[in-house]
Amino acid sequence: MTAFYGLLIGVAMGFFIQRVRASSPGMIARNLRLENLSVIKFMALTIAVGMVLVYALNLVIPSALHLDVKPTYVLGVLLGGLVFGVGFGIGGYCPGTSVVGIGEGRKDAMVAVLGGVVGALVFTLVYTTLIAPIVKVADFGKITLADVTHVSPFVLALLVSAVFLAAIKLLPTEVGAKR
Amino acid sequence: MTTTIDSSTGKTPWVFYGILFGILGTLSILAWGPIGVSGTYPRFIGELLTLVAPDYAAANPYLQKMGDLFAKTETYLVIGLLAGGFLGARLNREKAPACEMIHPSEKSPARRYRDAFIGGFLIVFGARIAGGCTSGHIISGITQLSVSGFIFAAGVFATGIFTAKVLKGRHVAAGA
Repeated sequence: MTAFYGLLIGVAMGFFIQRVRASSPGMIARNLRLENLSVIKFMALTIAVGMVLVYALNLVIPSALHLDVKPTYVLGVLLGGLVFGVGFGIGGYCPGTSVVGIGEGRKDAMVAVLGGVVGALVFTLVYTTLIAPIVKVADFGKITLADVTHVSPFVLALLVSAVFLAAIKLLPTEVGAKR
Repeated sequence: MTTTIDSSTGKTPWVFYGILFGILGTLSILAWGPIGVSGTYPRFIGELLTLVAPDYAAANPYLQKMGDLFAKTETYLVIGLLAGGFLGARLNREKAPACEMIHPSEKSPARRYRDAFIGGFLIVFGARIAGGCTSGHIISGITQLSVSGFIFAAGVFATGIFTAKVLKGRHVAAGA
Protein backbone atom coordinates (compact mmCIF):
# COMPACT_ATOMS: atom_id res chain seq x y z
CA MET A 1 0.00 0.00 0.00
CA THR A 2 2.81 2.43 0.77
CA ALA A 3 4.13 1.74 -2.75
CA PHE A 4 0.91 3.24 -4.11
CA TYR A 5 1.18 6.28 -1.83
CA GLY A 6 4.80 6.64 -2.90
CA LEU A 7 3.82 6.61 -6.55
CA LEU A 8 1.07 9.22 -6.04
CA ILE A 9 3.32 11.52 -4.01
CA GLY A 10 6.06 11.08 -6.61
CA VAL A 11 3.72 12.11 -9.43
CA ALA A 12 2.63 15.24 -7.52
CA MET A 13 6.22 16.07 -6.57
CA GLY A 14 7.40 15.66 -10.17
CA PHE A 15 4.55 17.87 -11.36
CA PHE A 16 5.41 20.61 -8.83
CA ILE A 17 9.13 20.46 -9.69
CA GLN A 18 8.31 20.77 -13.39
CA ARG A 19 5.91 23.70 -12.83
CA VAL A 20 8.47 25.79 -10.91
CA ARG A 21 11.15 24.91 -13.50
CA ALA A 22 13.40 23.26 -10.93
CA SER A 23 13.94 20.53 -13.54
CA SER A 24 15.45 23.11 -15.90
CA PRO A 25 19.23 23.00 -15.42
CA GLY A 26 19.44 26.55 -16.78
CA MET A 27 17.07 27.73 -14.05
CA ILE A 28 19.16 25.92 -11.41
CA ALA A 29 22.33 27.55 -12.76
CA ARG A 30 20.68 30.99 -12.55
CA ASN A 31 19.67 30.28 -8.95
CA LEU A 32 23.18 29.14 -8.01
CA ARG A 33 24.64 32.25 -9.67
CA LEU A 34 22.17 34.19 -7.49
CA GLU A 35 20.61 35.86 -10.54
CA ASN A 36 17.16 34.42 -9.85
CA LEU A 37 16.17 33.00 -6.46
CA SER A 38 12.80 31.45 -7.31
CA VAL A 39 13.84 27.80 -6.87
CA ILE A 40 15.74 28.54 -3.65
CA LYS A 41 12.66 30.40 -2.37
CA PHE A 42 10.43 27.51 -3.46
CA MET A 43 12.55 25.13 -1.38
CA ALA A 44 12.63 27.47 1.62
CA LEU A 45 8.85 27.94 1.50
CA THR A 46 8.30 24.17 1.20
CA ILE A 47 10.44 23.63 4.29
CA ALA A 48 8.83 26.50 6.26
CA VAL A 49 5.31 25.17 5.60
CA GLY A 50 6.30 21.54 6.18
CA MET A 51 8.08 22.04 9.50
CA VAL A 52 5.19 23.95 11.08
CA LEU A 53 2.65 21.37 9.87
CA VAL A 54 4.77 18.39 10.95
CA TYR A 55 5.56 19.68 14.42
CA ALA A 56 2.00 20.95 14.96
CA LEU A 57 0.75 17.43 14.12
CA ASN A 58 3.44 16.07 16.41
CA LEU A 59 1.75 17.90 19.32
CA VAL A 60 -1.65 16.40 18.50
CA ILE A 61 -1.11 12.96 16.93
CA PRO A 62 2.58 12.06 17.35
CA SER A 63 1.94 8.35 16.76
CA ALA A 64 0.62 9.05 13.23
CA LEU A 65 3.92 10.54 12.05
CA HIS A 66 6.73 8.50 10.51
CA LEU A 67 9.54 10.90 11.32
CA ASP A 68 12.95 9.64 10.19
CA VAL A 69 15.89 11.88 11.01
CA LYS A 70 19.16 11.14 9.22
CA PRO A 71 22.32 10.74 11.33
CA THR A 72 24.66 13.71 11.69
CA TYR A 73 28.13 12.34 10.95
CA VAL A 74 29.63 15.79 10.51
CA LEU A 75 32.61 15.04 8.25
CA GLY A 76 30.74 12.80 5.81
CA VAL A 77 27.62 14.98 5.63
CA LEU A 78 29.67 18.14 5.00
CA LEU A 79 32.04 16.46 2.53
CA GLY A 80 29.10 14.88 0.71
CA GLY A 81 27.38 18.27 0.52
CA LEU A 82 30.52 19.92 -0.88
CA VAL A 83 30.90 17.22 -3.57
CA PHE A 84 27.18 17.40 -4.35
CA GLY A 85 27.38 21.20 -4.74
CA VAL A 86 30.13 20.94 -7.36
CA GLY A 87 28.05 18.47 -9.37
CA PHE A 88 24.94 20.63 -8.91
CA GLY A 89 26.84 23.66 -10.22
CA ILE A 90 28.33 21.80 -13.21
CA GLY A 91 25.26 19.86 -14.35
CA GLY A 92 22.32 21.88 -12.99
CA TYR A 93 20.48 18.74 -11.90
CA CYS A 94 19.90 16.93 -8.64
CA PRO A 95 19.07 13.21 -8.33
CA GLY A 96 15.31 13.89 -8.39
CA THR A 97 15.07 16.79 -10.84
CA SER A 98 17.00 14.83 -13.48
CA VAL A 99 14.35 12.10 -13.33
CA VAL A 100 11.63 14.76 -13.71
CA GLY A 101 13.62 16.16 -16.65
CA ILE A 102 13.59 12.77 -18.40
CA GLY A 103 9.80 12.80 -18.04
CA GLU A 104 9.78 16.18 -19.78
CA GLY A 105 11.87 14.80 -22.65
CA ARG A 106 15.26 16.29 -21.77
CA LYS A 107 18.15 14.26 -23.19
CA ASP A 108 20.77 15.93 -20.98
CA ALA A 109 18.67 14.72 -18.01
CA MET A 110 19.06 11.15 -19.28
CA VAL A 111 22.83 11.68 -19.42
CA ALA A 112 22.78 13.11 -15.88
CA VAL A 113 20.89 10.06 -14.57
CA LEU A 114 23.37 7.81 -16.39
CA GLY A 115 26.19 9.72 -14.67
CA GLY A 116 24.36 9.20 -11.36
CA VAL A 117 24.04 5.46 -11.95
CA VAL A 118 27.78 5.24 -12.69
CA GLY A 119 28.42 7.38 -9.59
CA ALA A 120 26.37 4.95 -7.49
CA LEU A 121 28.28 1.99 -8.95
CA VAL A 122 31.68 3.53 -8.15
CA PHE A 123 30.42 4.48 -4.68
CA THR A 124 29.28 0.91 -4.02
CA LEU A 125 32.68 -0.43 -5.13
CA VAL A 126 34.71 1.95 -2.92
CA TYR A 127 32.34 2.09 0.07
CA THR A 128 34.16 -0.30 2.38
CA THR A 129 37.64 1.10 1.81
CA LEU A 130 37.01 4.84 1.32
CA ILE A 131 33.59 5.80 2.66
CA ALA A 132 32.93 3.65 5.73
CA PRO A 133 35.86 5.20 7.67
CA ILE A 134 34.63 8.76 6.86
CA VAL A 135 31.07 8.22 8.07
CA LYS A 136 32.35 7.11 11.48
CA VAL A 137 34.05 10.47 12.15
CA ALA A 138 32.18 12.85 14.49
CA ASP A 139 28.95 10.85 14.33
CA PHE A 140 26.40 12.45 16.65
CA GLY A 141 23.57 10.13 15.58
CA LYS A 142 20.03 11.17 14.67
CA ILE A 143 19.95 14.61 16.28
CA THR A 144 17.66 17.57 15.63
CA LEU A 145 17.97 21.24 16.57
CA ALA A 146 15.51 20.49 19.37
CA ASP A 147 17.91 17.90 20.86
CA VAL A 148 20.79 20.38 20.70
CA THR A 149 18.95 23.42 22.11
CA HIS A 150 16.46 21.65 24.43
CA VAL A 151 13.75 23.93 23.03
CA SER A 152 10.34 22.49 22.05
CA PRO A 153 10.46 21.37 18.39
CA PHE A 154 7.18 23.18 17.67
CA VAL A 155 8.56 26.48 18.99
CA LEU A 156 11.75 25.91 16.97
CA ALA A 157 9.70 25.14 13.86
CA LEU A 158 7.86 28.45 14.28
CA LEU A 159 11.15 30.32 14.75
CA VAL A 160 13.02 28.71 11.84
CA SER A 161 10.07 29.07 9.49
CA ALA A 162 9.74 32.74 10.50
CA VAL A 163 13.41 33.26 9.58
CA PHE A 164 12.88 31.49 6.23
CA LEU A 165 9.72 33.49 5.49
CA ALA A 166 11.46 36.75 6.36
CA ALA A 167 14.34 35.89 4.01
CA ILE A 168 11.86 35.00 1.25
CA LYS A 169 10.09 38.33 1.75
CA LEU A 170 13.21 40.48 2.00
CA LEU A 171 15.31 39.01 -0.82
CA PRO A 172 14.45 39.82 -4.43
CA THR A 173 13.29 36.92 -6.63
CA GLU A 174 14.71 38.32 -9.85
CA VAL A 175 18.04 39.89 -9.00
CA GLY A 176 17.87 42.17 -12.00
CA ALA A 177 19.50 42.35 -15.38
CA LYS A 178 23.20 42.36 -14.65
CA ARG A 179 24.12 43.77 -17.97
CA MET B 1 0.03 25.32 -29.37
CA THR B 2 3.36 24.50 -27.84
CA THR B 3 5.55 26.77 -25.82
CA THR B 4 9.20 26.15 -25.19
CA ILE B 5 10.36 26.47 -21.63
CA ASP B 6 12.85 29.27 -21.47
CA SER B 7 14.57 29.50 -18.13
CA SER B 8 15.77 33.02 -18.82
CA THR B 9 12.34 34.60 -18.71
CA GLY B 10 9.21 34.72 -16.76
CA LYS B 11 7.86 34.14 -13.34
CA THR B 12 7.04 30.73 -12.03
CA PRO B 13 4.23 29.94 -9.58
CA TRP B 14 6.76 29.03 -6.85
CA VAL B 15 4.66 30.45 -3.98
CA PHE B 16 1.64 28.29 -4.84
CA TYR B 17 3.67 25.14 -5.42
CA GLY B 18 5.95 25.80 -2.44
CA ILE B 19 2.92 25.74 -0.13
CA LEU B 20 1.56 22.61 -1.85
CA PHE B 21 4.95 20.88 -1.66
CA GLY B 22 5.14 21.62 2.09
CA ILE B 23 1.73 19.95 2.52
CA LEU B 24 2.81 17.05 0.26
CA GLY B 25 5.94 16.41 2.34
CA THR B 26 3.77 16.32 5.47
CA LEU B 27 1.39 13.83 3.81
CA SER B 28 4.39 11.68 2.95
CA ILE B 29 5.49 11.63 6.61
CA LEU B 30 1.93 10.63 7.54
CA ALA B 31 1.78 7.91 4.85
CA TRP B 32 5.16 6.20 5.27
CA GLY B 33 8.07 8.58 5.88
CA PRO B 34 9.99 11.60 4.59
CA ILE B 35 10.57 11.89 0.83
CA GLY B 36 13.98 10.98 -0.56
CA VAL B 37 15.47 10.04 -3.92
CA SER B 38 19.20 9.34 -4.04
CA GLY B 39 19.16 5.96 -2.24
CA THR B 40 17.30 4.57 -5.24
CA TYR B 41 20.48 4.84 -7.36
CA PRO B 42 22.58 2.34 -5.35
CA ARG B 43 19.53 0.08 -4.91
CA PHE B 44 19.25 0.01 -8.71
CA ILE B 45 22.96 -0.86 -8.86
CA GLY B 46 22.21 -3.62 -6.34
CA GLU B 47 19.63 -5.11 -8.71
CA LEU B 48 22.05 -4.94 -11.65
CA LEU B 49 24.92 -6.49 -9.68
CA THR B 50 22.60 -9.22 -8.41
CA LEU B 51 22.05 -10.18 -12.06
CA VAL B 52 25.68 -10.11 -13.20
CA ALA B 53 27.63 -10.83 -10.01
CA PRO B 54 25.22 -12.27 -7.41
CA ASP B 55 27.92 -13.40 -4.98
CA TYR B 56 29.55 -9.96 -4.93
CA ALA B 57 26.19 -8.21 -4.48
CA ALA B 58 25.18 -10.49 -1.62
CA ALA B 59 28.49 -9.84 0.16
CA ASN B 60 28.66 -6.05 -0.38
CA PRO B 61 27.91 -4.39 2.97
CA TYR B 62 26.63 -1.16 1.40
CA LEU B 63 24.12 -2.91 -0.87
CA GLN B 64 22.94 -4.99 2.08
CA LYS B 65 22.52 -1.83 4.16
CA MET B 66 20.50 -0.08 1.42
CA GLY B 67 18.07 -2.96 0.96
CA ASP B 68 15.98 -4.32 -1.88
CA LEU B 69 14.94 -1.92 -4.68
CA PHE B 70 11.35 -3.08 -5.06
CA ALA B 71 10.71 -3.31 -1.32
CA LYS B 72 11.30 0.44 -0.84
CA THR B 73 8.51 3.00 -1.16
CA GLU B 74 11.10 5.50 -2.41
CA THR B 75 11.51 3.51 -5.64
CA TYR B 76 7.85 4.08 -6.52
CA LEU B 77 8.23 7.76 -5.69
CA VAL B 78 11.06 8.00 -8.24
CA ILE B 79 8.90 6.29 -10.88
CA GLY B 80 6.22 8.86 -10.00
CA LEU B 81 8.69 11.72 -10.61
CA LEU B 82 9.10 10.55 -14.19
CA ALA B 83 5.31 10.60 -14.72
CA GLY B 84 4.93 13.92 -12.90
CA GLY B 85 7.50 15.60 -15.14
CA PHE B 86 5.78 14.21 -18.21
CA LEU B 87 2.33 15.38 -17.04
CA GLY B 88 3.54 18.83 -15.97
CA ALA B 89 4.99 19.52 -19.40
CA ARG B 90 2.21 17.84 -21.37
CA LEU B 91 -0.82 19.32 -19.58
CA ASN B 92 0.63 22.80 -19.91
CA ARG B 93 1.65 22.33 -23.54
CA GLU B 94 5.27 23.06 -22.78
CA LYS B 95 8.17 21.58 -24.63
CA ALA B 96 11.40 21.37 -22.70
CA PRO B 97 14.63 21.75 -24.70
CA ALA B 98 16.25 18.35 -25.30
CA CYS B 99 19.65 19.81 -24.48
CA GLU B 100 19.71 23.05 -22.48
CA MET B 101 23.02 24.90 -22.46
CA ILE B 102 23.63 26.41 -19.02
CA HIS B 103 27.23 27.68 -18.99
CA PRO B 104 29.11 29.88 -21.54
CA SER B 105 31.58 26.99 -22.03
CA GLU B 106 28.81 24.70 -23.29
CA LYS B 107 29.16 25.64 -26.93
CA SER B 108 28.14 22.26 -28.32
CA PRO B 109 25.72 19.52 -27.24
CA ALA B 110 28.74 17.28 -26.58
CA ARG B 111 30.07 19.74 -23.99
CA ARG B 112 26.62 19.96 -22.39
CA TYR B 113 26.31 16.17 -22.20
CA ARG B 114 29.79 15.97 -20.68
CA ASP B 115 28.77 18.48 -17.97
CA ALA B 116 25.49 16.65 -17.36
CA PHE B 117 27.34 13.34 -16.94
CA ILE B 118 30.00 14.74 -14.59
CA GLY B 119 27.32 16.63 -12.66
CA GLY B 120 25.14 13.53 -12.39
CA PHE B 121 28.08 11.45 -11.18
CA LEU B 122 29.08 13.96 -8.49
CA ILE B 123 25.56 14.65 -7.12
CA VAL B 124 24.87 10.96 -6.56
CA PHE B 125 28.36 10.20 -5.24
CA GLY B 126 28.18 13.20 -2.88
CA ALA B 127 24.63 12.42 -1.80
CA ARG B 128 25.62 8.85 -0.94
CA ILE B 129 28.57 10.03 1.18
CA ALA B 130 26.18 12.32 3.06
CA GLY B 131 23.31 9.81 3.16
CA GLY B 132 20.79 11.96 1.28
CA CYS B 133 20.24 14.58 -1.41
CA THR B 134 18.20 17.73 -1.96
CA SER B 135 14.97 15.94 -1.07
CA GLY B 136 16.16 13.65 1.74
CA HIS B 137 18.60 15.97 3.48
CA ILE B 138 17.51 19.51 2.56
CA ILE B 139 13.71 19.32 2.16
CA SER B 140 12.89 16.41 4.50
CA GLY B 141 15.88 16.91 6.79
CA ILE B 142 15.44 20.60 7.54
CA THR B 143 11.64 20.13 7.73
CA GLN B 144 12.35 17.75 10.63
CA LEU B 145 14.92 20.22 12.06
CA SER B 146 17.63 17.60 11.52
CA VAL B 147 21.12 18.99 12.18
CA SER B 148 22.46 16.94 9.25
CA GLY B 149 20.09 18.73 6.84
CA PHE B 150 21.47 22.15 7.77
CA ILE B 151 25.09 20.95 7.43
CA PHE B 152 24.43 19.30 4.06
CA ALA B 153 22.63 22.40 2.73
CA ALA B 154 25.52 24.64 3.81
CA GLY B 155 27.98 22.42 1.93
CA VAL B 156 25.81 22.22 -1.20
CA PHE B 157 25.25 25.97 -1.51
CA ALA B 158 28.89 26.83 -0.68
CA THR B 159 30.34 24.84 -3.59
CA GLY B 160 27.23 25.05 -5.77
CA ILE B 161 27.24 28.87 -5.85
CA PHE B 162 31.03 28.97 -6.23
CA THR B 163 31.06 26.45 -9.10
CA ALA B 164 28.20 28.09 -11.00
CA LYS B 165 29.77 31.54 -10.69
CA VAL B 166 33.23 30.34 -11.72
CA LEU B 167 31.76 28.56 -14.75
CA LYS B 168 30.06 31.83 -15.69
CA GLY B 169 33.57 33.24 -15.93
CA ARG B 170 33.33 35.59 -13.05
CA HIS B 171 35.37 35.20 -9.93
CA VAL B 172 33.78 35.39 -6.55
CA ALA B 173 35.27 38.22 -4.57
CA ALA B 174 36.57 37.17 -1.18
CA GLY B 175 34.02 37.88 1.49
CA ALA B 176 31.28 38.65 -1.00
